[in-house]
Amino acid sequence: MSVRNHPSQWVSAQGQYAGSASRFAAYLIDLVASTIIYSLALSLISFLVEIVTGSPVSWHRNDIVVLITYVAWQFVYFGFQWAGDGSTWGEALLGVQVVRADGRRVHPWQGWVRSLTFPLGFLTLGLGFLGILVHREHRAVYDLIAGTAVVYAWDARAARYRYLARQAEPVAEVAAASPLPNPAPGEAPPATEG
Amino acid sequence: MDPQDRSRSARKGAAASAELLAQRLAERVIDIVVQAVDINAVLQQVDLNALLARVDVNAPLKQMDVNAPLKQIDLNALLKQIDLNELLEHVDMDVLLDRIDINDVVARIDMDRLVEQTDLGAIIARSTGGLATQGLDTMRSAAVGLDRRIDHWVIRLLRRKDQVPLAPPALRSLEAQP
Repeated sequence: MSVRNHPSQWVSAQGQYAGSASRFAAYLIDLVASTIIYSLALSLISFLVEIVTGSPVSWHRNDIVVLITYVAWQFVYFGFQWAGDGSTWGEALLGVQVVRADGRRVHPWQGWVRSLTFPLGFLTLGLGFLGILVHREHRAVYDLIAGTAVVYAWDARAARYRYLARQAEPVAEVAAASPLPNPAPGEAPPATEG
Repeated sequence: MDPQDRSRSARKGAAASAELLAQRLAERVIDIVVQAVDINAVLQQVDLNALLARVDVNAPLKQMDVNAPLKQIDLNALLKQIDLNELLEHVDMDVLLDRIDINDVVARIDMDRLVEQTDLGAIIARSTGGLATQGLDTMRSAAVGLDRRIDHWVIRLLRRKDQVPLAPPALRSLEAQP
């Protein structure tokens, strides 16, 4: 299945409600990033505790402390970034941003509320996420509670020019490297094989 | 010849001579008057603007075939005689530029064709076309394409026919841009 679309569509999508694929991909990136940071932090803590106490510390995924701190970390990771400029690392990579329902910049408290209510999507067995697919404004349950929406915020216009420039570059290079002079007016162009 | 005819002929001859004499006399008088009159002084007293205000210039111009005299004019020869540099020195470029709506001119430029068909494209590609940027553009555009496809399926599945808002109110102007 091809998902290629014309660059002009990128620009027209700018500012529109972001769809499920972009948001899901952004969430996966954030999940991986936050988990890596959390694991590194645990390793650092283990290292420091071992230096101080002299006895090694091991962490297990089933450990309740690890689980609680991981959930708390997730809340901080998402809440801090949404309260900041409205986009997490994953969302910044995918070019989507959390905004207020009317499209203006998100309030910090809305970012934290969104982070706090985000688990509702899982607690409702995925029904909370269904709004991303079927809601008219692609808003999940936590978006409705926090009064937020997610939009495409990447500079699609610049990306379009980059795309057009890449298309034009080989032509320009061939023209510059060609040793053949331009044919005089009225003169036939040199014949090519094939 | 009949005496009556003779006298009639003599009268005709005398009348013709008198008419010729009068005509010569008139021409001479006019000549003297014209030489005596200072035309420049007379013209200075004429209010040309008032005179021209009475003249309907459009009427003769409508009847006139302007192309015919223009065909006879060697415009190249005429233009060669014009010192364009001197002419341009009289032009106040600031006033001229103030009248030009630069934004309107720029808006008419087809940026896509400019980037595609000039070296500008290669310059942009070299300056911004890093592998990471290219990968990011590809990933984002693919995500937008997939989003659109999924939206299409959902709309068909829900049999939604009413128009849904595409963007939040504050961002609709951004969305309307080409």
